[in-house]
Amino acid sequence: MIIDAHGLRKTFTTRSRKGTQTVEAVRGVDLEVGKGEIFGVLGPNGAGKTTTIRMLATLITPDAGTATVAGHDLLKAPGAVRRNLGYVSQAGGVEESTTPRAQIIMAAKIHSVPDPAGATADVLARFDLTEIADRPGRTLSGGQKRRVAIALGLVHSPPLLFLDEPTTGLDPQNRANLWDRIRQLRELGTSVLLSTHYLDEADALCDRLVIVDHGLVVAEGTPGALKREVADDVVTLRLDEPDRAAETLKPYARETRVDDDVLRVYVDDGEHTLPTLLRALEEQRLALSSIALDRATLDDVFLAKTGRSLRDTGAAA
Amino acid sequence: MIRHTLLFLVYELRNTFRNPIWPLFGIVQPVVYLLLFGPLVAGAAGQPISAQLTSFAPGMLVITALFGAIGVGYGMLYELRSGVLERIAVSPAWRPSIVLGRTLRDGVVLMLQSVVVIVIALVMGMRASLPGLAIMVVLIAVTGLFSSGIGYGLALSLRDENGMAQIMQFFALPVMLLSGALLPMTLAPEWMRKVAVFNPMYHPVVAGRALFAGNLTDVSIPIAFAVMLVLATLTVTWSVRSLRRIAG
Repeated sequence: MIIDAHGLRKTFTTRSRKGTQTVEAVRGVDLEVGKGEIFGVLGPNGAGKTTTIRMLATLITPDAGTATVAGHDLLKAPGAVRRNLGYVSQAGGVEESTTPRAQIIMAAKIHSVPDPAGATADVLARFDLTEIADRPGRTLSGGQKRRVAIALGLVHSPPLLFLDEPTTGLDPQNRANLWDRIRQLRELGTSVLLSTHYLDEADALCDRLVIVDHGLVVAEGTPGALKREVADDVVTLRLDEPDRAAETLKPYARETRVDDDVLRVYVDDGEHTLPTLLRALEEQRLALSSIALDRATLDDVFLAKTGRSLRDTGAAA
Repeated sequence: MIRHTLLFLVYELRNTFRNPIWPLFGIVQPVVYLLLFGPLVAGAAGQPISAQLTSFAPGMLVITALFGAIGVGYGMLYELRSGVLERIAVSPAWRPSIVLGRTLRDGVVLMLQSVVVIVIALVMGMRASLPGLAIMVVLIAVTGLFSSGIGYGLALSLRDENGMAQIMQFFALPVMLLSGALLPMTLAPEWMRKVAVFNPMYHPVVAGRALFAGNLTDVSIPIAFAVMLVLATLTVTWSVRSLRRIAG
């Protein structure tokens, strides 16, 4: 177990002239991350992902809870935790005026890496940054900066790497590229804790994940198991009388859910169930305007657990 | 601990001198005062500029230290926003070294700026005591630690560019005028002189005039060193603590 955290809590208090406001950012989070795992924290903006990661990275002190991170007690030995940690924040921390090479060598020196220049050259090569290593940070593209940020967190070869929203703001090609590089970390045995609000990212990268909402873990497991818990497939129907249709289809479905004029029917064998559903609707003279059959996604898991769609909350935030 | 402080100091100095445009901008204001205000003071006093500069130039060095604080505060806010500070905070670096390395860098930069300002004043005809000049450069470095401490402390506790600009602007002008850097406090009414003693920047200005004039045993010199050392210790401690609040 590289991270073993129990009951982490953090409440922020802001004081202004209007009075004191408290925000319960994290309300009791348990995390157990195995060695060599890529572990995801999936949730909408404001769910407490960043606060959780910042607590585990020794940046903020939890109000309650205990955690062992990379073999050391988070509260009693934060210094030892820091020595074994790579941390890549959302902002990245790449300096504009300095070259990637100079910044990474400096990071290596702070970590007392035996051969800072050599370790820097290695990590630059691994992230295809050798060519741009001696250009000022401000001239780099978003994707390059992101890779420099990760190289900065990896130069001391930590057993554990934290990635806070690693692909936010990247275009699809750079995202796919970064996903491949994160997968390579698994081959090298580095454990990764990453937070994301992208469903596809969590699905594609994570061995296991937790879904968090309003500061609490609402689901935990492998992406496959979480989805199977809901159903294999989702039939999405648009029609005028979704409530009556839901009533009609209930016997054939594991679950049904109505949002405005959209009816979602969760079934296990979509291809074969679909004709049955259509027949049942026909018999009740329910007119369809559209129908779609999809594999269940983590969004369906989120919907089942919280009653909201992550796509909606993500767009609203 | 010392290793990390030195690491940060060397790294930051290298960054500063890779692009020395900002330290050069830092001496624009005092140099403009030297060139365009010094002669006016000399004219008003009916003195030749070469004699006047001996008492006018020390104030310009203190102004360099005072306005330097604003710049370093903004630099720290940038490092806060870009995540650089957070990244360093999740490293085994000894916490105070993160701020101390930067503060010492500011001290070194300020000493070099002072030398440039002094050379310009000498070129303009200033006559001054050489040991006095050397001691003044050291006094200015300590003054710089004090003002950098304020700059970093404000940046790290306010974390807001606008708030910092307001506070700096509110204080900069009265502190500058009450230090006697532009026009000496000997011209001031009694009450102003009493108030000026409580202005930290007043002391290095007075001590600087004594040093430049070669009165190396003047009592104002140890007073200025004592005041600045105590205040620098306080403000640097404050800035280190403000960092701790941000980064655990």
